[in-house]
Amino acid sequence: MKNEIATNRRNFLKAAGVAGLGLGAAALTSVPKVAGAAKARKIPKTPVSLAAISFLTGPAAGPFGIPGDNAYKMMADVYNQKGGILGRQIELKSLDEAGGAKTQVELARKLILEDKVDAILGYISSGDCKAILPMSDELGGLILAYDCGTHVLMEGEKSPYDVPKFELGFRTAAHLGQDNIALALAIKKYMPNVKKIAGINQDYAWGRDSWHIFELAIKKLIPGVEVVKVLWPKIFTTDFTAHVSALQGSGAEIIHSSLWGGDAVTFLKQAMSADLLDNAKMAMSRGEPYPQEVGPDFPEGHFLCCAGTHYFLYPAWDKWPLNKWFVQEYKKRYDKYPTYPSYHAFQAIASYKTAVEKAASLVGGWPTIEEISKALSGLSLETPSGYLSINKDHNAREDCLVGISKKVDAYPFPILDPDRLEVFPSFQVNAPAGISTEDWIKGWKV
Amino acid sequence: MGLIYTLNGLYFAAFLFLTSLGLNIILGVMGILNLAHGSLYAVGGFVAAFLIGLMAGGPIALTIPAAFLAAIAIAAAVGFVLETTLLKHMYSRALEYQLLITFGILMFVEDAIKLVFGGESIYASAPMDGMGAMNIMGHTYPKYYLFVMLMALLAGACIWWLMAKTRLGIMLRAIEMDRDMAHAMGIPMRKLSIFAFALGAGLAGLAGAMVVPTTPAVLGMGMDPLIMAFIVVVVGGLGSLKGALLGSVIVGLTRSFTIAYYAEMEMPLLFLIAVTILVARPQGLFGQS
Amino acid sequence: MKYYLLNPKAAAYLVALILLLLLPQFVSGYHITQVQIGLAMGILALGLNLLLRYTGVLSFGHGAYFASGAYAVGLLNMYFPEHFSFELSILAALVVSVIVSAIFGFVCVRHTKVFFSILTLALSMLLFAILEKAYHFTGGSDGIRIPMPTFFGHEFEMRKYPFLIGPYYYIVVGVFSAAVLTMLAIVNSPFGKALQATRDNEVRAEMIGIRVKRHRWYAFVISGGFAGLGAAVWSFSAGHITPEISMWVFSGEIVYMVLLGGFMIYEGPIVGAILFTYLNLYAKATTEYWMLIMGATLVTLVMVLPGGITGGISSLYTLLKPKKS
Repeated sequence: MKNEIATNRRNFLKAAGVAGLGLGAAALTSVPKVAGAAKARKIPKTPVSLAAISFLTGPAAGPFGIPGDNAYKMMADVYNQKGGILGRQIELKSLDEAGGAKTQVELARKLILEDKVDAILGYISSGDCKAILPMSDELGGLILAYDCGTHVLMEGEKSPYDVPKFELGFRTAAHLGQDNIALALAIKKYMPNVKKIAGINQDYAWGRDSWHIFELAIKKLIPGVEVVKVLWPKIFTTDFTAHVSALQGSGAEIIHSSLWGGDAVTFLKQAMSADLLDNAKMAMSRGEPYPQEVGPDFPEGHFLCCAGTHYFLYPAWDKWPLNKWFVQEYKKRYDKYPTYPSYHAFQAIASYKTAVEKAASLVGGWPTIEEISKALSGLSLETPSGYLSINKDHNAREDCLVGISKKVDAYPFPILDPDRLEVFPSFQVNAPAGISTEDWIKGWKV
Repeated sequence: MGLIYTLNGLYFAAFLFLTSLGLNIILGVMGILNLAHGSLYAVGGFVAAFLIGLMAGGPIALTIPAAFLAAIAIAAAVGFVLETTLLKHMYSRALEYQLLITFGILMFVEDAIKLVFGGESIYASAPMDGMGAMNIMGHTYPKYYLFVMLMALLAGACIWWLMAKTRLGIMLRAIEMDRDMAHAMGIPMRKLSIFAFALGAGLAGLAGAMVVPTTPAVLGMGMDPLIMAFIVVVVGGLGSLKGALLGSVIVGLTRSFTIAYYAEMEMPLLFLIAVTILVARPQGLFGQS
Repeated sequence: MKYYLLNPKAAAYLVALILLLLLPQFVSGYHITQVQIGLAMGILALGLNLLLRYTGVLSFGHGAYFASGAYAVGLLNMYFPEHFSFELSILAALVVSVIVSAIFGFVCVRHTKVFFSILTLALSMLLFAILEKAYHFTGGSDGIRIPMPTFFGHEFEMRKYPFLIGPYYYIVVGVFSAAVLTMLAIVNSPFGKALQATRDNEVRAEMIGIRVKRHRWYAFVISGGFAGLGAAVWSFSAGHITPEISMWVFSGEIVYMVLLGGFMIYEGPIVGAILFTYLNLYAKATTEYWMLIMGATLVTLVMVLPGGITGGISSLYTLLKPKKS
């Protein structure tokens, strides 16, 4: 037994240490406990095969899929240069999320059953996440959802619900509840007397869910607030002039929006050119990339949430060197600053690596996916954005940053005002495991 | 606000009209429903966005014509290549082959765009920012929107003049009416087919180029305009310029006022109009039955 | 009976059925799920081909009837989970897809040629818009989960995946066989012959007393029903449905399947559906430039092999067959 375990250096040292205490007989019985029932668990020489699935075609590729995929490629490369995961090289397969749930279900089945990948890290669309995550337990494959936003993914039909919903399915980022609750909290702090709010969100599940949570939260926090206009433009709208005029007519002081990508830039541009943003303040749940993309004219004083604390200047580089390294490495390779999907990709691949290493140290050898799953549940790790923790409901929790746009000399575009960075701790913006986000907000005593 | 809502509606109509113009010509003259029309639109968009980025800081009086003409030229060139290599074999083929070949072209043009320009969005708002805004009865209104409406009218007028007043147009209309008869009359079919397809492609490129100052060029940007153009063609009537113009204006104005007064109905109402017209007038507003 | 066994076509069908039934002995479970999806798509493709081959009109919006069937199953489960069974799902899918195709078809059959195609396309996009817009009712773009059904009161005490590659596979083969034979009967019936008459010459068909539009409409509805049936069978294998199945891109893929297999031969669309299921998946699983592969294949197909795979094989056979002189 001892000889077999000794194939793993770390366990050998552990065993030797115990034996060194002169408890040789006890060591024989206690070592197997430490090492689990590990029988000659060798670390395979073959590479670890990871499938990274993001939108690589279509309108979601530019804003999400490619920044995410870039970060996967970068991290796989960086890890491989440092010996991979426990000495195994990472073999990353970048695949397209196109074709809807119809194609993605078939693809996931192929990846798990035929290609036998070690894990799937993927999915930007909530529809795809809802379709794929149940397959983790059905097929016995480890699936880490990395970016999709729907708040109900890990929540049960009723509240309170049992956790976890999936044994082998995880989401390594917080859901959209966090962004919209954080926005409501920030508005409560800076504009407590706001009377009129409006919303402009895309007419599909993401936009509907985002507005729903924001409306619940803001009405709870500022009871007198009145919703004066709610707009639902079609996704991939290129002409928002009618919406801008309608918002101008409504007299709203705050305009909530979960627009992303081209839609967000188009709306902001058209809103700016009609002077809408001089009178009303935007509250954008995924607003972090847009001052940079809209450019120097982006107005000051608007609320921008960062989908967590994913901002290239936060956490501050002097206090958290990992963010500095991540931003600089990404900039060096792709000549762009990373945006939040890049951070989310880091979270997925780093969670997998950390969990494998943790599980391996317990079982002595390459862990099974069940063991990796156990290690993932309750895992905490350092990411470029601070600490990420994965709760027992298999959903990650993050702190959430809301900033206010401000022009500075150092950058050719407005940044988030360093004096007014509002960071809400994860427990303030995420429902605890076992209760639905809606019920949690409804239960607040403000 | 009523005036602004009307202008917004006309602005949207201008894009619809521009986008459907090329589709309509190819459909009318060649009888081919070009599913790759949206991809040619995207080619125009990416070319224009790329050039606007390249000429950043230059005077917009130079940037705009250069970017737009290049977009037209390159989209037309792509159209030329497609016609002379693939589509020329399709005129005598059954409808399913004509449709599927343009579907196949759509797929590889989409990937070709990605190979050439990379997958990331290209931002190119300089022309719109550079033109500034004007005051219309107390409301700030970007001049670029007025410019788009003007261009759409101009393009429409040119096409009308071409089709109605020139010898070329008469020959094109002859092909539209009866392909076999036109051939028998000795009309140079090959040359005219190439011309019509390149013209349609160029117009798609122009529509794509016109849109990128207001919205970034992204992969798959042509898919939505393609569907909207179909609806305009169906509503306006096959191959009818007048129909396309009126159809665009109806759709644009309805959309603008619905958003202002009853936003939930934006999309359903548009489709409702299309379906109503189709049931009441199956050939479209100005189509020949 | 003896006569039927001697019929080469019947014998070939029997061999094909036996091969399908024995397939789980030879290939892995994953391929069983793929073939299962291929067979479901085969039912859909047969439906499309009733319009394309036998009626002479090209629907570029068949995703709409597929989506109608799939959403009938999904909504049945969402709102009446206590009645959720395989047989009721099939029934609901058939009823809903027939109703939707009857309404849409009523508008479309007044046209032929390219206008028919545009109209079917536009109407499928209308359904897509409704499915996505009616977020509170259909779950919008997030779609609906489809769990394991009961089968005539029998509950399968197993997990989803063993169910799919075990009992459910045989159920699919059963439904598929029934669909193939039904469609064969339809195209060989007097109704089927009348359809072909309207295709070949509309005026002449009208002259000999065939009500052309009426017949075309019936064909449209039957075709929509097959699409709905295929969708119901497919939805359980997929386990989750989203509105993308009503988008015109999927409708284009259905036409692609039919042409890949070859639409001039009755069984061609089935071959095409199974091949397409594999081609589409392997292209996406291999490279991010999958559109290049799919597009190039399609263009090659149209230019070089217009008869599709089965057409190609049959002309090769004619070419190689020793000529009787």
